Amino acid sequence: MAAPYSLGIDIGGTFTDLVVLDPRDGRAVIWKESTTPDDPARGTMAGTRAVLEKAGIGPGEIGRVVHATTLFTNALIERKGARTGLLTTAGFRDTLEIGRERKYELYDLFIEMPKPLVPRPWRREAAERLAPDGSVERPLDLDAALREVESLVAAGIESLAVVFLHAYANPAHERAVAEAVAKRFPALSLSLSSDIAPEIREYPRASTTVANAYVRPLAETYLARLEGALREAGIPGRLFLMLSNGGLTHVEEAKRAPVHLLESGPAAGALAGAWFGRHAGLDRVLAFDMGGTTAKLALVDDGEPLVAWGFEAAREKRFLRGSGLPIQIATVELIEIGAGGGSIARRSGLGTLQVGPESSGAQPGPACYGRGGAEPTVTDADLSLGYLNAEFFLGGAMRIDAAASEASLGRLAGALGVAGERAAFGVHDVVNENMAGAARVAIAERGRIPAEYALLATGGAAPVHAWHVARKLGVTRVACPPGAGAGSTIGMLMAPARVDRVASFNAPLSGADYAAAGRVFAALEAEALAVLRETGAAEDGRVARRLADMRYIGQGSEITVALPETLTEAPVRAAFEAAYRRLFARTPPGAAAQFVALRLSLTAPMPGAGGTLRLPQHAGSTARKGERPVFFPDAGKTLPTAVYDRYALAPGAEVAGPAVFEEDESTFIIGPGASARVLADGTILAEIAPSDDRSAEGRGGLNRPAQEEKR
Amino acid sequence: MARTFDAVELELLWRRLISLVDEAAAALVRTSFSTLVRESYDFSCIVTDAAGQSLVQATESIPSFIGTLPETVKHFLKAYPPETLAPGDVLITNDLWLGTGHLPDITVAKPIFLDGRLVAFSASTAHAPDIGGKIRSPEPREVFEEGLQIPPLKLMRGGATDETLVAMIRKNVRTPDQTMGDLWAQVVALDLMEDRLLGLMRQYGLPDLTDLAAEIQGRCEAAMREAIRALPDGTYHSELQTDGLLDKPVTIRMALTIAGDAISMDFAGTDAQVDRAINCAYCYTYAMCMYGVKVCTNPSLPNNEGAWRPISVTAPPGSIVNPVFPASGGSRMLIGHYLPMLVFGCLGQVVPERVMAACGSPMWGMNQSGVRDGKPFANMFFFNGGMGGNVRGDGVTTLSWPSNVSSTSIEISEHIAPLRFHHKTLRPDSGGPGRHRGGLGQEIEVESLSDTPIAVSFLAERTIFPAFGIEGGKPGAPGELRINGERTDPKRQYVLLRGDRVTLRTPGGGGHGAPSERDPAALAHDLTHGYVTEAESYRR
Repeated sequence: MAAPYSLGIDIGGTFTDLVVLDPRDGRAVIWKESTTPDDPARGTMAGTRAVLEKAGIGPGEIGRVVHATTLFTNALIERKGARTGLLTTAGFRDTLEIGRERKYELYDLFIEMPKPLVPRPWRREAAERLAPDGSVERPLDLDAALREVESLVAAGIESLAVVFLHAYANPAHERAVAEAVAKRFPALSLSLSSDIAPEIREYPRASTTVANAYVRPLAETYLARLEGALREAGIPGRLFLMLSNGGLTHVEEAKRAPVHLLESGPAAGALAGAWFGRHAGLDRVLAFDMGGTTAKLALVDDGEPLVAWGFEAAREKRFLRGSGLPIQIATVELIEIGAGGGSIARRSGLGTLQVGPESSGAQPGPACYGRGGAEPTVTDADLSLGYLNAEFFLGGAMRIDAAASEASLGRLAGALGVAGERAAFGVHDVVNENMAGAARVAIAERGRIPAEYALLATGGAAPVHAWHVARKLGVTRVACPPGAGAGSTIGMLMAPARVDRVASFNAPLSGADYAAAGRVFAALEAEALAVLRETGAAEDGRVARRLADMRYIGQGSEITVALPETLTEAPVRAAFEAAYRRLFARTPPGAAAQFVALRLSLTAPMPGAGGTLRLPQHAGSTARKGERPVFFPDAGKTLPTAVYDRYALAPGAEVAGPAVFEEDESTFIIGPGASARVLADGTILAEIAPSDDRSAEGRGGLNRPAQEEKR
Repeated sequence: MARTFDAVELELLWRRLISLVDEAAAALVRTSFSTLVRESYDFSCIVTDAAGQSLVQATESIPSFIGTLPETVKHFLKAYPPETLAPGDVLITNDLWLGTGHLPDITVAKPIFLDGRLVAFSASTAHAPDIGGKIRSPEPREVFEEGLQIPPLKLMRGGATDETLVAMIRKNVRTPDQTMGDLWAQVVALDLMEDRLLGLMRQYGLPDLTDLAAEIQGRCEAAMREAIRALPDGTYHSELQTDGLLDKPVTIRMALTIAGDAISMDFAGTDAQVDRAINCAYCYTYAMCMYGVKVCTNPSLPNNEGAWRPISVTAPPGSIVNPVFPASGGSRMLIGHYLPMLVFGCLGQVVPERVMAACGSPMWGMNQSGVRDGKPFANMFFFNGGMGGNVRGDGVTTLSWPSNVSSTSIEISEHIAPLRFHHKTLRPDSGGPGRHRGGLGQEIEVESLSDTPIAVSFLAERTIFPAFGIEGGKPGAPGELRINGERTDPKRQYVLLRGDRVTLRTPGGGGHGAPSERDPAALAHDLTHGYVTEAESYRR
């Protein structure tokens, strides 16, 4: 093959991560470049040159480029998208501003709600009306609609969202407008609700469509620019984009519906977790990523990250549900909490030890950075407990002021009235509890039990905390893959192509037209397959999953159920009831169920996606670097603990805990009683015998015997 | 000897308690049939100590239940002293006076035993899809018209369900499967809290919750007292009038006394209860007063018994804020949602920067019931007005306050009811003028498409007395209810025939500060956005 290599590019807020992978043998080379927010393609190309040089290959040898970016999310957060207009059904131009009418914070009289992406003067109405079944009650006045669009164009809008009531049931009016607008204003970027998010509920559908319109011109320009720059650099490989659902798509599809790219970076992280988990022989993985400010958790079942069918973008308050813009797209389900290495520890107003969500950020950073940070952070506590090495911080690249850490922790201990070591471990323990608590709720919401999962740690701080978080959850296996710092980029290179499509299907389960449902799926699959084909995926290996949003008639929200092969009432009902029981322990007696929407999820492997990974080893060096005192709560004291150079550990090596594994970006800690071994891809898998009572904190899920049957 | 907890251990235990009630709340939300629970979080979950004193509450809840639920648990204990309780028991009530002030809210509680000793209760209140009786409207004159009344009873004894009680409930409600389905969802939440709490107690070697409760409640009590101590002592008065029964407005009077580290509120001089369902039972009055005090003294304080100890509420029996049997109370929020405003009226005299102008609340709603395709249907749709302006900025447009009930999607509404919505838009010029303008209300127009009559009733207030401004701000626009263009009495029930149209105009919030001080750029923005069309009234 002329161009065998794959290049992964993940643009984050601070760094752009790049990876070159040789899928033939799994060899990978990693590079970090500073992000250039004014023109992200510039930093990307600088990084590309650097990583190619480091790998010792020429641009002509790159057969495939895979890309994830936070660019579009940031455009929403910073409100730096296109001048966007909205055309909607007469009487409903304020839907976007009225919103859900619900507070995300009960006690704040000074609450601020997210501002709509389209201001009121640019929200216009069209004379038209559909009934809930999609039938036309008032025909579209196309001329009047065009006059509104004309006036919007005159006002300078660059992108238009069209959202008509009940358009999920019949796209005809939206399409008629689109056709006429495209003829008249060919330069205007268009987004239709029936195309972008064809689901019932006008507010989230409008919010999603408008968000797409808002970032679409940016996506068109940026992706064209990036493609051009790659060409100019002599890279022959095609460009693929990472979607929020954990799959890849091609550039034209990404330009059409960039709203699907909003969570592409985090999705890649979860995907990396799934990939490493699969290779370590783990089917249920809690992918745990912890950086400087936030921790992210993603559940991976049977080798795939769980996907949710909606999320919130650009929250007013980052960790408060309901404070953002609802976006109805398929997205890898992530729980984000304000817990990171930079999280600040303080005495709370109630005299307890509070850790986060406030973070010291990069400036001033933890006290140990010596940049004027006076308050202790999680990193300071980790340093004091021996989890981090002052002499080998960021692989020795950063000088650390351990005395400043100790002083800040001493002040905290004084304020709390506890001994110094108690304060340091308290900080570590409380931040772990915050993460474990979020994990428990997330796992319970899905009717699962934490003990079924293995914890997989990526990101700078997760490997330091994973062991103790696992103990809190009653999780017995903890994995730490190599190159954790660039994990998400690696995930992208392993990603399949994926297309998710949804169609409204409102019918009771009994007496539904199952043949019609079959036809809807066939149409969705044909549409999805066209995108997949264009993406160049290995079509023969494709897997189509048919799912349905279903509920008991009268319920306010739906669950998404994987449908059986045979689309007839009895097996569909059985699948729905089984899924319902798994989530909620029981099914209500005598209640009738209904379909709300049908979903098709199509995936296929990408040629060139690697099946293995090998990072450079420290050949010939000794694995065991030495020993240092490290605090372990199980032992109740500081233990002399062996320190290993992770790059020098060969696959198959076995190590008994307690132990410390050092690499440039992170440090992996395992406690007494752990037995760890190094897997073929370099992942360290640590296990402990199922725990005693003391750490069996995450017992039962909701999986109790069915209530109704007992009664 | 009392066990002590250091700053670290206390935080860890507290986090765990919060996480277990949140876990139960997540389960309840996902299993519930009621859209009020699922989309509006019209429920709460708590854990109390053995004496029924609350320790932790679920994060997502509404203010009323935060105040009422712990009190209901104490009422359960009065009806069922510890020696009459056994593991596996589940208590139930929807009593108007012991519960939340109206019958659709069903409260259940489960005594939790560790090694044979009663150590805690898990409890939950949730709004049932239906409780029988006349459809929700202010018309009922006695509680008997409002549906099934369940006194404190055992729904389960030692794990066995009382089938007689279940049969009685099923027979008396319009939606037996859904009402019972939600009740069992609540029971699952109770079980889950029990399971997690016992696991936690065993892990930390806690024989009971006495010492932990004392620590948690004690710290919150101390923090609340400290916040109150910072306020100047004195007795402050406020009063306001509500639409009441239109021909007869209701006057509510509050005297709020700050004495050292305690606050007491008294409603002497408030009008008597009425023979319509707007009476606000003491339990709800108490909850709304607590909420009002909390938001302007110590808003971030966790909710538990300790936080409430320094605050007391008294109201004359027989008054509209403490009605006596057999008063009706189905629409108690039509009085209750005004009460935090009275608290602001008093505390605003000492901490004006912490209160806001009046909101376009109480919440608005339209209840419809009828027959569609041969089957009975009943739905409640909610709509909100604007919030009051405050010292920092304009009031938020169309936001639920003090409750937190979201509106139902128009597309969903048109699926579940034979109605067509013609518009749902912001109401220009409805925000009260001020340096910081009040939030806007909205206008909704809806038409019946039903060939059979639909009975409708409303929650609608401030149609006579608008949301007032403060610090020189002007009032917001009053609300309006019209049927086929005619102004109508929102406290009555109507029958809609095919083609009849209802127009609801929710009130705007009051302004904060003199309109003359408004930033001209802000006014210009309001004009270009159509929030204001008549600039003059917003300039002076």
